[in-house]
Amino acid sequence: VSVTLRFELNGALRTVDVEASASLLEVLREQCGLTGTKYGCGLGECGACTVHLDGRPVLACLTPVLQAGDARVTTIEGIGGDGLTRLQAALVRHGALQCGFCTPGLVMTATALLADLPRPTEAQVRQRLVGNVCRCTGYTKIVEAILDAAGARGA
Amino acid sequence: VPDAPLRIVGRPTPLLESPAKVTGQAVYTHDVVRPGMLYARILRSPHPHAAIRGIDTKAAARAPGVAAVVTAADTPKVRYIYLGGPFSDRYPLALDRVRFVGEPVAAVAADTAEAAEAAVALVRVDYEVLPALLTPEAAMAPGAVAIHPSEQCLGGPNVALRSERRYGDLEAGLRAAAHVFEHRFRYPAVLSCPMETNAAVCDVFDGVLHVWTPTQVPQFVQKELAHVLDLPLERIRVREVAVGGGFGARSKVCEQEAIAALLALKTGRPVKLVYTREEEFEATKPRHAKDITLRTGVDAEGRIVARHARSIVDNGAYTHMGPGVMGYGGLVAAAVYRTPNVTFEGRLVYTNKHPGGQYRGFGAAQMLFAIESQMDIMAEALGVDPLELRLRNATRPGDVTACGWKITSCGLAECLRRAASAIDWERKRRAPGPNRGVGLAAVVHVSGANVYAYGDFSEAVVEVQADGRVRVVTGSADAGTGSNTLLAMIAAETLAVPLEAVSVLSMDTRDAPPELGAWASRFTMTGGNATRLAAEQAREELVRAGADLLEAAARDVRLGDGRVFVAGSPERGLAFREIVRAHGPIHAHARYDTPTDALGPSGYGNISAAYSFAAHAAEVEVDPDTGRVRVVRYVAAHDVGRALNPLAVEGQIQGGVAMGLGAALQETMSYEGGRPVQRSFLDYRIPLATDLPPIEVILVEPGDPGGPFGGKSVGEPGLVAAPPAIANAVAHATGIRFTELPITPDRVVAALRARDGGLPRGADPRVHPALWRVAGVRALYPSVVFPLLRDVGARWARRPRRPERVETERPATLAELGRALAAADGRSRPMGGGTDLLAGMRQGIYHPERVVDLSAVPELGEIAEEPDRLRLGAGVRLARLLERPEIRSRLPSLYEAVTHIATPQVRNMATLGGNLCQQKRCWFFRGGFLCYKAGGWTCPCYAVLGDNRQHAVVDADRCAAVGPSDLATVLAALDATVWTWGPRRERWVPIERFYRGPGEPDLAPGEIVRAVEIPWPEPRTVALYEKVAPREGDFATVSAAVTLRVQGLVVEQARIVLGGVAARPHRAAAAERVLAGAPLDAATGARAAAGVLEQALPLAGNAYKIDVARRLVARLLGRAAARAEAVRR
Repeated sequence: VSVTLRFELNGALRTVDVEASASLLEVLREQCGLTGTKYGCGLGECGACTVHLDGRPVLACLTPVLQAGDARVTTIEGIGGDGLTRLQAALVRHGALQCGFCTPGLVMTATALLADLPRPTEAQVRQRLVGNVCRCTGYTKIVEAILDAAGARGA
Repeated sequence: VPDAPLRIVGRPTPLLESPAKVTGQAVYTHDVVRPGMLYARILRSPHPHAAIRGIDTKAAARAPGVAAVVTAADTPKVRYIYLGGPFSDRYPLALDRVRFVGEPVAAVAADTAEAAEAAVALVRVDYEVLPALLTPEAAMAPGAVAIHPSEQCLGGPNVALRSERRYGDLEAGLRAAAHVFEHRFRYPAVLSCPMETNAAVCDVFDGVLHVWTPTQVPQFVQKELAHVLDLPLERIRVREVAVGGGFGARSKVCEQEAIAALLALKTGRPVKLVYTREEEFEATKPRHAKDITLRTGVDAEGRIVARHARSIVDNGAYTHMGPGVMGYGGLVAAAVYRTPNVTFEGRLVYTNKHPGGQYRGFGAAQMLFAIESQMDIMAEALGVDPLELRLRNATRPGDVTACGWKITSCGLAECLRRAASAIDWERKRRAPGPNRGVGLAAVVHVSGANVYAYGDFSEAVVEVQADGRVRVVTGSADAGTGSNTLLAMIAAETLAVPLEAVSVLSMDTRDAPPELGAWASRFTMTGGNATRLAAEQAREELVRAGADLLEAAARDVRLGDGRVFVAGSPERGLAFREIVRAHGPIHAHARYDTPTDALGPSGYGNISAAYSFAAHAAEVEVDPDTGRVRVVRYVAAHDVGRALNPLAVEGQIQGGVAMGLGAALQETMSYEGGRPVQRSFLDYRIPLATDLPPIEVILVEPGDPGGPFGGKSVGEPGLVAAPPAIANAVAHATGIRFTELPITPDRVVAALRARDGGLPRGADPRVHPALWRVAGVRALYPSVVFPLLRDVGARWARRPRRPERVETERPATLAELGRALAAADGRSRPMGGGTDLLAGMRQGIYHPERVVDLSAVPELGEIAEEPDRLRLGAGVRLARLLERPEIRSRLPSLYEAVTHIATPQVRNMATLGGNLCQQKRCWFFRGGFLCYKAGGWTCPCYAVLGDNRQHAVVDADRCAAVGPSDLATVLAALDATVWTWGPRRERWVPIERFYRGPGEPDLAPGEIVRAVEIPWPEPRTVALYEKVAPREGDFATVSAAVTLRVQGLVVEQARIVLGGVAARPHRAAAAERVLAGAPLDAATGARAAAGVLEQALPLAGNAYKIDVARRLVARLLGRAAARAEAVRR
C-alpha cells in the first residue's frame, strides 16, 4: 500500500511515495539513493544502519517508515558540510576505521553521543557504542578518536 | 640511490579511503546499482544430507516479477577448482545431492528481492533424505554412509586427506625426554563475520561479464568464474569496489558470484545478490574445528626435545582449504619453539555441515591454542615460570626449524620479555589480585608464504601519468587492511613525491597485472616488494629521461617533490609532468619472486620469505558468582620487521586481538541436526566495545633484510595468540585449565562449582509428584519423544507463510485506534516502536497481514504522576524513562533495569508496551527450527536436548524458552499492574499474572497494553535490580529484582522476582518467606538465597543458572542491607 510520506531529510523537505510497511532503511537506500546507511543484519543488532530521527540515533532497519513521517531524519550524508566534522577528522587521523562498513553508523552514534555528553569518559563512550558492531578495529582507536574529538585526553 | 631518511614509510598514515568511508561516500557491492537491475535470492537445502530426485521450477518461473530461475541444469556442471584435483568437489548449485544445510540448490532473479524470495518458496525439490554425519567420529565410524565418492577421499572413507609428516626422530626424542606430557585440546568452529554480508552484482555488457563483489582476490574470482561458467578469462572483469571486511574468508571465491553471474547471463540483465546475515551464519565458511592431541617431551632443563601432534579436522561438507589448514598447523607445531623431533598426523574428515574455510590465523590458531596452553601446563608441572620456559625454547634469528623454515629476523624473545614486562608479569604472577590472573602466549607466522599455486610472486605497475601524478596498479583488493595505502606510501617514498600525488587502482582484472592478492599475511612482503621494484624502475626511467633533458649525468640528478633536478642546483630541474610530456608516459611493471621453496609432500622447506613473531600478555578477572571473564589489560608485542604504516599495523594487531578475544570468551557456534543454532549477532556474540579493554600494542622492529623497507607481515598473528593467552590467564586466576573454547560464563561457573561439590541439581523429581510428568517425558526425550516429534510429528506442523502484502495503519487518535482494533483478528498485530515486530517478521516468527502502529496516539505516550502511583503509557519509549528524574529517584530499580536494555538506538525506538509484549528469544524458535511454538503441538522442543544454556530451569514443559522482558521482572517486583484496552473490554492485570507463556502476554486479538501503573514505593522501601547477561544490553541469563520494605533492619515485606529462568517472571516465594519478619543480615540473606529455585528442574546445560540466581539474590540482599543501614543512620 503506497502512501505519501513527508519528512525532513538532511535539512531538506522531502515527499516520497512509500510502501506503508517498509522500513526507513529500504526507503533511504532504495528510494532516496542514500547508500551511506548500511545493511549489516536487518535485525537491529549491528548498528550499521544508524541514522538520527529527530536528533536521536535509531536503527533504520527497524524503524517503520511511517514513524519518520513529519520527522527530521539525518543520515551520514547530512553530517558536516564541505569538510569533515571534528569527529570524522579524528576518526581518520586515529586510524579508527578499516573496512569502513560500520563507520557511517558509528559516526551517527558518536555524533549524538558528543551532542549529549561533550566530555565523555572512556567508559561512557564504550557504553554508548554498545549498539555499533565493528569487526575490524577492536574499538581501541575508535574510542581514542572520540575522546580526542571531545577534546578530552587522546588516549 | 643514496640512503635518505624516510619521509613517508614508517609514519602513521590514515588509509587513503578514510575520507570517503567516514562520509558514507565509499561504494561497496551492496551499494552498486545498475540500470534495470534484478534482485536474486537463493533456495538452500533444508537437509544436511539428501539426494535430489528432481526439481520443479515451473511455479517459481511463473510467479509475478520473476525473470529467471536457475538450477544445476542451467550450468555447465563443472566443479569449483578450489585446491584442484580430488579437492575440487563442489558445484555452484547442487547437482544431484546436497551435503549441508544451506547448500544452494536453485536461485531466482526477480524485479524485487521480495518477489525473488516469494518465488524461491515455490521451487519444489524432491529430496531423498540420507543419514547425516555430523561429527568426524560419526563420519569415520565403520559402515558410515559415504558423503563423497571414494576418489575424493584420499584418506579412506569420508577422510578427504590423511597427512603424516616426520621431522627428525620422534621416538628417539621421546626416549631422551625427562618428562612427557600428553593433552587434548578442542578449538571449535568460529565465523569471521565481515560487516558487509556476501554480495555480488553481475552485469553483462560489451560482451563482458562485469562483477562487483567484496573479495580479497579478484583474480581468483575471475578464474573460478571462467571455469565454472565455461567462459574465456577475458570475458570476465572483476571491478574495483570497496570491500566491507575480509579476514581471509574472502581470499578464495565465495559462492555468490557464480550464482549472480548465472542469472545475469540467463536474463541478460544486471543482477544483485545480497546475503542476509542469517545466510552468512548458515552457509558461509567457518574456521575448521580441530581436535588436537599433543604429546610433548622435554629434557631435564625444560627444553622441548620432541613433539607428536595429532589433529582431527572437521572439514565440513566440501574441501575448500582444509588440506592447507590442516598442514599449516603441523608446520607451526615445528616452528614456534626449537623442537628437533616432530611428527604431525592429521585427518581431514568430511561431515554434513557447512564447509570450513579460510579465516585469519589459518590452521595456526587451533594448533597454537593447544601448544601455548600446554606450555603453561608443562611449566607448572616442571616448576618453571611460563615466561622462562618460553624463553628457553624460543626460536631465534638464524635458526632453521625442524620443518626447514629459515628464520631471518626474529624478535620472539624480545616480544616475550616486553609483553611480560608491560603487564608487570613477575609481580602479578606472584601476587595476582583477587580472582585475577595473568597469562602469556607466543606466535609464529609466515610472511609472504609460497603455499598456493602462483603464490611465489607478485607483480605491480607504477605509472607516471601525463599530469605528473603517480598511479600504482595492483590486482589485490584492500578489505580494510591498508594494503592500498601501503603501496601508495612505498611508491611515494621511492619516487620522492608527496603521498597525495599517488593514487591506487586495485582489483580491476582488466587493468591489473597478475597478483594473488592481499591474504595469507603475504602482501606486505610480496605486493610491497613488487611495488618497490616497479617504483624503482620508474625512478630510473625518470632519472635517465630527466638527466637527458637537463643535459646532466644521470648520477648527478636527484628526485624531490615531484621533480628531477641537478644535485646542488635545485632550480635546474623539471617537474615529472614536463618529463613525461617530452619523454612519454612512464609505465614500470615489476615482478617480485619470493626466495622460497614450494611446499612439497614432505612438508619440509623454507616456504616463506620471512617469518613474523608475537607474544601477548593478558590480565583477567574472573567473577566467581557469574563466571564472567573480564579482560582487565591486554598487551600485544609484535615483531613486524618494521612498521611501515604504524597506524595500520596497530589497527591490524588490535583488530586481530579483538577477534581472538571473541573466540576465546564468547563466540559460540553450536549445531542442531547439522544446522547452526546461532544465526544472528545477538546469539553469535562477536565483541562489542564494552567487551574489550584498550588493546596495548608494542612494536618490535628488528627489520627484515628481505622485506620492503624491512617490513614483515602483521595480519594474522594477533588473533592467534589471544585465546591461549586468555586460557592461561584464567588458569592462573582460578586454577582451572580450559582445554576447549570458548570460555563462556556457564562453563566457568560449572568448573568452579565442580571443585566444590558440583552445581545445584534443583529438585528431585522423585519426591515431587508435580514434576513427574515433565521428568518422565524428558527421560524419554532422546530415545522416543524427540525423534518421533521431529521426524513424524513435524509432518503435521503448521507452517505459516509470509503474507504477500502487509497493510499498515497508523491511527492518530484513541477513537481511530478503537476502530482499527475492533477490526483486528488473529492476523493483525499491534506495533509500538517496531524493534521487535520488524525483526520478528524477518525471522519468520510474526506473519501479520495487518499492522496497527500505535505510535501516533497521544494518550499512549502519556506519563502521569498520580499521588499513589505512576502511570506510564504503553507507547512511552524506553529512552524517555531514563530522562524522568522521578523515575531515577523514586523507582531506582526500574531505572537500573532500563539502562541495561538493548542499545541506545533500540531504547530510542522501543516502547514500554513493546518490551512487555515482545516474543521470546529462544534461538531455536527465532532460528527457523520447526519447534513446538513455531509449528504446533506435534513438534518438539529443541532445547530439551540441544544447546539449552539460555533456557528455563523452572516450569519448562513443552517449551523451554524464558520470558525475554527485563521490565516484566522489575515491574513484578514493584507490584505493577497492566492496563489492557480493547474494543470489547479493558482490564487491570497484576503483571505477575499477565503472561500465558514465554513472551506471550494474555491479550486477545485487538487488545493492547494501554499503560502500566506502578504504585509509588512506601517510605523505607529498598528496591534493587541486577542483570547477569552474556553481554551489555543482552537478554538476561538471570536477572533479579528485589523490593523490600524495612523497619530498621527488619524486613516487613519482601518481593523477589527472577528473570531469565522461567517462562514468566518468577517469584522467589521461599526466599520471600525467609525474609519476612527477619533481620536483614548476612545469615538471613544466605538462608533466603539458598531457597531460590529449589523447585527447579534444569536441563543438561543450564543448571548453572540456579547457582547464578542464588548468588545474585545473595548479592542483592547484601546491597539492600547496606542501603537499609545507610537509611537508618
